[in-house]
Amino acid sequence: MLEVNNLNVFYDKIQVIWELAMQVNKKEAVGIFGPNGSGKSTLIKAILGLVDSVEGEVLFRGQDLTKKKTYNIMRQGISLVPQNRELFPDMTVKENLKLGSAFISEARQSTDETLDFIYHIFPVLKKREEQLAGTLSGGQQRMLTVGRGLMAKPQLLILDEPSVGLQPSLVIELFQKLKEIKEKDVSILLAEQNVRQGLKIIDRGYVLENGRIVLEESAEDLLENEHIQKSYLGI
Amino acid sequence: MKKIIFYLFFVIMAATLPYYAGGYLLHVSTTILIFMSLSLSWDMMLRTGQLSFGNAGFFGLGAYASLISVSNLDIHPVLSLFFAAVFAAGVALVVGFAVLRLRKIYFAITTLALALVFEVIVMNLSDLTGGSSGRVLPQAIFGGNSVLIYWLILFITIIVILISELLNKSKTHYAINSIRNDEITARSSGINVFKYLVFVFVFTSAIQGIIGGVYTQQYAFVMPESTFSLDFLLLPIAMALVGGIYTTMGPILGAIFLGLISEYLKLIMPYGHLFIYGLIIVIVILFLPEGIYKVARKKYRNRKSQEVKLDASSEGK
Amino acid sequence: MKINQKKTSWLFAILFFIVIIVGIWDASALIYGLQRGSLYALIALPLAMVLGIMDILNLAHGELLTVGLYASYVLFINFSIDPLISTLPVFIFLVILGGIIYFLTIKKVLGEGHLPQLLLTFGISIMLIELIKIYWTTRPRNVYRAYASSSITIGNFRIGSYEFLYVFLAFAVFLLLKLFLKKTRLGQAVYAVGQNPRGAEIVGINVDLVYLFIFCLSSGILGLTAGVMLPRVSIFPLTGNPFSLISFALVAMAGMGSINGILLAGITLGIAEAVIQAIPGYGGWSDLVFFGVLIAVIMAKNIQEA
Ligand SMILES: Nc1ncnc2c1ncn2[C@@H]1O[C@H](COP(=O)(O)OP(=O)(O)O)[C@@H](O)[C@H]1O
Ligand SMILES: [Mg+2]
Repeated sequence: MLEVNNLNVFYDKIQVIWELAMQVNKKEAVGIFGPNGSGKSTLIKAILGLVDSVEGEVLFRGQDLTKKKTYNIMRQGISLVPQNRELFPDMTVKENLKLGSAFISEARQSTDETLDFIYHIFPVLKKREEQLAGTLSGGQQRMLTVGRGLMAKPQLLILDEPSVGLQPSLVIELFQKLKEIKEKDVSILLAEQNVRQGLKIIDRGYVLENGRIVLEESAEDLLENEHIQKSYLGI
Repeated sequence: MKKIIFYLFFVIMAATLPYYAGGYLLHVSTTILIFMSLSLSWDMMLRTGQLSFGNAGFFGLGAYASLISVSNLDIHPVLSLFFAAVFAAGVALVVGFAVLRLRKIYFAITTLALALVFEVIVMNLSDLTGGSSGRVLPQAIFGGNSVLIYWLILFITIIVILISELLNKSKTHYAINSIRNDEITARSSGINVFKYLVFVFVFTSAIQGIIGGVYTQQYAFVMPESTFSLDFLLLPIAMALVGGIYTTMGPILGAIFLGLISEYLKLIMPYGHLFIYGLIIVIVILFLPEGIYKVARKKYRNRKSQEVKLDASSEGK
Repeated sequence: MKINQKKTSWLFAILFFIVIIVGIWDASALIYGLQRGSLYALIALPLAMVLGIMDILNLAHGELLTVGLYASYVLFINFSIDPLISTLPVFIFLVILGGIIYFLTIKKVLGEGHLPQLLLTFGISIMLIELIKIYWTTRPRNVYRAYASSSITIGNFRIGSYEFLYVFLAFAVFLLLKLFLKKTRLGQAVYAVGQNPRGAEIVGINVDLVYLFIFCLSSGILGLTAGVMLPRVSIFPLTGNPFSLISFALVAMAGMGSINGILLAGITLGIAEAVIQAIPGYGGWSDLVFFGVLIAVIMAKNIQEA
């Protein structure tokens, strides 16, 4: 479904991603694990056209995304739950959610049904429907961001460190919800530092270090891997 | 050392200009020097990161201060220039305490309003200023001797150039640069940002005031419409931008270049010749944000380093 | 930059009441101020839109109004089209002009910081002023329409009745804009971009298109206003110039991005000016009221934030 080949990304001539190749198959949940600054966010931004200097190939359902504008990519069936949320703070929770589908023609007709589904997964959003997004707690804002991403009825949902800044109990709750979402046959690309939680929902994972992929294994194998155990799970 | 001789050569050339140039060229040169000083003063404020549109306002204040002090207080015209400088500086100090707390668009637009505000005040204090019809002096400074006027303005301009160089060399330079690049870091490294801003704002306004005074003494009249004219705002900005901002050389080259063009434009385009300056600003911002001086210097350096490389490679053979 | 800032400053509220109370003491100033203030608000609205959504302070704002006035003037002189009827073609003309300016210049400095943006729009404003000078010189021009000089008498005062059109138009435009923002998809896109352009892009909004739309619409509103203003003003190349400053003063007063606030701020300034103008011998100082307000408001806000 998503295929990245030979990707190089630069910030002002400083290279951050090197010769990267990866893919996400249909109905598959794939993890990208790596420490802070390893290039997870940059990889995601490169896929979505949010950085300028990108070399290589990004194919989504056979179409090359590198020449497309971000807003257009988001209309192809991908949606993003960004690391720093990017909500509309002076709009209500409901308005924020509705904007998630308003500009995606496939998702627009079924706005109300999707909204019900999201309220079902995140009841707190229903309760705070009329509250301004900027006044929500950090955890609630994260739920809203995930909810907004789902409103687009994506075939591929990309999540950039959804656990960041959340207290442990909320992280566990969030990943349970993500598991529910996965059952809905959505492909998932999850960037995480929290490998322990991430491994619970993914089928396959890559390990990214200093802008290069150093490991690719199934979730089970990753759990057994010595390097992972040492550097990421602290075993 | 080489540089000093180079500068000395130009100073001597400029100082002896009246002996080998005709009256017209002398007049053009005087005008160019006036705008050069204004342009440098605008650029010096910009080096602190604050875009000021107030230069025309302080120019106008200086003009009126100088004229009024000569005709009402009977001060010698040369002395009145000091009065103009002090007056402009005083107003800048008071105004500065308010507007220098502002940043970015707030600062820019408030200073843009200053010229208008000063003009309205001048119009309404008609007993002193002559209102909308302005006032005239019985005669120009030095009895209208254009050579002496030229020397006076050259003298002031050289001082302004020296100040500008000093500002780009001294400890102040470091402070000003860091304020422009990152105010918060500047603040946390112990720089008193506000003090520096007030300091630069006051002395650049004093320069604008003195130039306004000279200009008035040269033409022996003031009138809101021409004294607060857009020329004194627009041309200095265009000159600094064309030459290259944040440098001394930029405004100097820009003033000479655009000053010469300006004379020609006035001849062929009596109405609306400022259009070209608007266009120049737009083009520089869009296509040449570093200005001519820096681009030329880079080209020159590149060529030089290429030559060096060529030399090295030929030596290798 | 936010669109829906609720906190309008306390200073503004106090100012508003003082002005109203003084205005009641001189009723004609109240009405005159309302008329004039509506016009101010109408002109400030497009500046506020471009500033609030695109984060660009357009110093050529007043000049776009001037261009609109001259366009309407030309249509009247050459084709005898009444200014009120020419509002439509002038609206379209300014939308197109706005689009051209956007594509050639503004688009290239989006997100580049205030310095190039201010200098660029300053340069554009000069170009427009000087172009007008080249074609029409600095001679003031007027368009006389009998309907525009009618007046009504209240007590000892005569008040222009044509100017009530400003009030009507201001309220109509503000209402339509609010409806548009709330009810249409494009309006929601505008609203979203104004709050978070990055977030807007992520939900599939073509941010570039929204910017183009906003710049064109703003320019168009100025064209509309120009046609309505023309019968009551004498035009020259600098007619519109002070309006960039006045508009900014209103935006600062209203609080960045508050649309309702602008209408209120405009009316407050209008009345304050009218009151000063009514003081015998000091009428000329009324041109400074906006500056006093500007300084007072931004100083107060600045100190609050510090
Ligand atoms: N806007 C930017 N400009 C320059 N360098 C950046 C920028 N964003 C990230 N980087 C650098 O790129 C590298 C990868 O960052 P990022 O993709 O954010 O990593 P991660 O998401 O894995 O924490 C880091 O070294 C970071 O400093
Ligand atoms: Mg990241």
